[in-house]
Amino acid sequence: MYSILELERKVVDTGICTNCGACQGMCPYWKSYQGRTFVDYDCDRTEGRCKYFCPRMPADLDALREKLYGKDGCEFIPELGPFRALYLTRAADPEIRKNAQHGGTMTALVEFALAEGFIDAAVLSKAAEADGTLDPAGCLVTDPAQVRNCSGSSFQIPPTLAVLNEALAADEYKKIGVVGTPCKALAVAKMKAKPYEDNDNHADNIGLVFGLFCGWGLDWKGLAALGDAGHVDILPSKFHRMDMDDRQVDLDDVLPLVRNACKYCDDMTAEFADLSVGGARSSEGWEVDKGWNQLIVRTEKGQQLVDLAIEKGVIETRSFGDEDAETAAMDKLMRASASKREKALKL
Amino acid sequence: MTTKNEPGKTYLMQGNEAIVRGALEGGVHFASSYPGSPSSQVLGMLGHIAEDQGFRAEWSTNETTALQSCMGASFANGRAICIVKQNGLLFHSDTIHCGALGGVKGGLVIVSSDDPDSHSSTNEFDSRHMAVSANIPMLEPASVQETKDMIPYAFELSEELEQMVLIRVTTRICHGRGSVTLGEIPEKRPFTPIGIWDRMVGINWLHSFLLEKLERAREAFEVSPFNHYMGKEDADKLIITGGTGMKYVQEALEEFGKEDEVGVLSLGCLWPLPEKLILKHLSKASKVLVVEEVDPFLEEHISAIAGKAKLSIDIQGRADLIPQIGELNPEVVFKAVGEFLGEKRECCGEGCPAIEGVNIPARELTFCAGCPHRASFFILKQALRMEGHKGVVMGDIGCYTMAGQRAGQYGYHFMSCMGSGISAAEGLGQLTNYGFDQPVVSLCGDSTFFHSVVPGLINAKMNEANILHIVLDNSATAMTGFQPHPGTGQTAMGYETEKASIQALCESLGCRVWKADPFDVEETKNLICELIQMKGLKVLILEQPCATLAAKTRKKKKVWVDTDICRGSNCGCDGYCSRVWGCPGNIWDFEKNCAAIDEVVCVGCGACASICPSGAIKVEGGDE
Repeated sequence: MYSILELERKVVDTGICTNCGACQGMCPYWKSYQGRTFVDYDCDRTEGRCKYFCPRMPADLDALREKLYGKDGCEFIPELGPFRALYLTRAADPEIRKNAQHGGTMTALVEFALAEGFIDAAVLSKAAEADGTLDPAGCLVTDPAQVRNCSGSSFQIPPTLAVLNEALAADEYKKIGVVGTPCKALAVAKMKAKPYEDNDNHADNIGLVFGLFCGWGLDWKGLAALGDAGHVDILPSKFHRMDMDDRQVDLDDVLPLVRNACKYCDDMTAEFADLSVGGARSSEGWEVDKGWNQLIVRTEKGQQLVDLAIEKGVIETRSFGDEDAETAAMDKLMRASASKREKALKL
Repeated sequence: MTTKNEPGKTYLMQGNEAIVRGALEGGVHFASSYPGSPSSQVLGMLGHIAEDQGFRAEWSTNETTALQSCMGASFANGRAICIVKQNGLLFHSDTIHCGALGGVKGGLVIVSSDDPDSHSSTNEFDSRHMAVSANIPMLEPASVQETKDMIPYAFELSEELEQMVLIRVTTRICHGRGSVTLGEIPEKRPFTPIGIWDRMVGINWLHSFLLEKLERAREAFEVSPFNHYMGKEDADKLIITGGTGMKYVQEALEEFGKEDEVGVLSLGCLWPLPEKLILKHLSKASKVLVVEEVDPFLEEHISAIAGKAKLSIDIQGRADLIPQIGELNPEVVFKAVGEFLGEKRECCGEGCPAIEGVNIPARELTFCAGCPHRASFFILKQALRMEGHKGVVMGDIGCYTMAGQRAGQYGYHFMSCMGSGISAAEGLGQLTNYGFDQPVVSLCGDSTFFHSVVPGLINAKMNEANILHIVLDNSATAMTGFQPHPGTGQTAMGYETEKASIQALCESLGCRVWKADPFDVEETKNLICELIQMKGLKVLILEQPCATLAAKTRKKKKVWVDTDICRGSNCGCDGYCSRVWGCPGNIWDFEKNCAAIDEVVCVGCGACASICPSGAIKVEGGDE
């Protein structure tokens, strides 16, 4: 069967496409518009990178994990994936924190990684235009100063990896960092595994992968209908609401807009990244955690970056308290991750 | 086509030229037409000679206006000829029916060209039914000579009966060539003033006169020189034919060596049928084969004549020995005549295409190299896919009808007759107010816009249609050969005239109008997306001149493929230019496995450079 037909039938038509962009940016056939991935003309190749890179196409994840993390020496936790350490962190710079969804750790780390040469370019997602309108697109950033423009989350899923594919094809940057949700981290892992021998699209140019914790993303049109917003945040479950700038939206109005694809996703912490960042959910509660991130470091390379960032004071860490509190925080995180997995499997 | 007055001299002529010569020898005062194959060229030729020959020739906006103009000219005793194709005849059917009731003063001849096998039509309608329905006399020539001769005859008959006369021709007559011996070109007859009590009014109390005229026509047809009897007198086996059938039948009989054993009655007068003449030959026959183009018209009417006369004859034709659909050809007729005669031979022997086989590769119809329609449909498909495949496209008639095939990315869901797209879209679009949730797009070309889309647009505006109507404005009636239309600023006789503006016309109705260039792929695509999402009636004019026209005036750019950059058939391209874009100028180099440009075919528009995923197609020079 043609690759594009296979992908269209198995992933797009079934509604499990997340619009990550892994199939895009390599050929004229796959495109994305207003949060929806589509193919406009038939390519008659039976072997294509699109179907191999798609995070929603079947793959042996154990083999993939073994290939990418087997020699790294990290621990493997069933609920969290490859694991080295868990931190409570935030950006040291208050200017970063101002626009961040939580503590701005991701922005600070990517900026730092670019400045220190851990990566020579970064593929990020634009949250929104300066005027607040949604523009679901990825962007390639090489100047650390530009990273802050991509701070915050809009809870949409832009086809960021289309930009990565284009940057890889250009072969100009040799250590391209990628920031993305779990689906994107998985797609990038598949790219790194070079599944299509004839053309690996310069996969060796992929650098650090920065994973974002993700509960779900929202349908673009539904989110657009809720109105423009520069800053969007989902509060802990007891608040049952989403904040869009100064507006508060009842979560009951938001949940119907969750992308169908996300209901089948079993990865909360972006297990195929080098490090993953999410909102802090320690046992001390929301008032204390507000403005803080939790950071999972998975690989040695990720650890080097985080260690240096802490040493240079780019990110601040906060102690969990005593050992019991740290265990409780780990438990809470593992429970949350397991809960997403259960929900996905039960559906 | 010669305009020399050389009676008795013989020239080789195409059928369409013979129509022109016939009009000239018939003393024509007024000629009008809307182009349609196979008779598209006729009015163009008339337009070229009209000035010198002292008559008026004009392209009309549609066939109805063409025929009605002829009626006006006839009112002053002018001789008028209206040339249409079978669809055009159907388009002006109300005019024919009402006009026939009122009758004519000066001779009025309608030449309707049928397209059996629909070589350049969407159908193979048979014009002959119209004569029966409208109760007007009809003729059909069997040769190019007769085509010329019939027109003066038809003018005379028309004036004698005070009735319009229909002449049916078919593709092989129009496009075929034959020797034509010229007749005399008469002096132009002066017009007759229209008196206070002169009338040309189509009203039902003239119905009995209409039928009376038809009976007088029948009497004339009994002795008409256009009916021929050949072969054995009082034959038991009789072949009745007309039009192209006559030559095919003669050829087949010669091949079988049976010319003297069979009778052949070839009828040039088709309606009303010369019953006495037909009965004279039928009464001696026991077996009849009817050979005719398209429908079993003669077959059924002759069966009726035989039935009324209580003759017991075996009549065969389209339903039995000849395929029910499609064009006659030597092979089909040979086979039918063979079976009719009880001969076993399937074909005419050595050299026959039926034995040798004709090895012509099958090719799809496609847009010319550089055609802006290719870009328009490429964009439209992308825009609809961006919208989630849901848009419904209502097509129309023109070059862009080919968009239903690969050339236009299978670009429309609906296509019927001229002007139908917008009104069908209007109806479908109204359902969006009642739960139908697919955007509706209609299309037409510039010539079709003037032909019959305008009333549909007014209807859409009045009823507040929820549609996007796209006018594919290539500044030409391209399909039929660049005949002038109201937007081109030219007339058939070569005069300059003020161009009608599609935009101004739409805006005068209160329509919101946008303009875009189909070669500006990204911008136009985004505009279409935007317009599809917008409620109400939107008109988008996609302007880019027909490539064939543009090639005449524009300096050709050099287009070439950088083979180092071209991704070929690899993952990432898969031959996008030649396989998807599909311009005949974009070809494939099988040795290098990469794209190439056919420099002979390429018109140098450079549009393919903008769709190449790797930027391997380069454009140099030319005007911008």
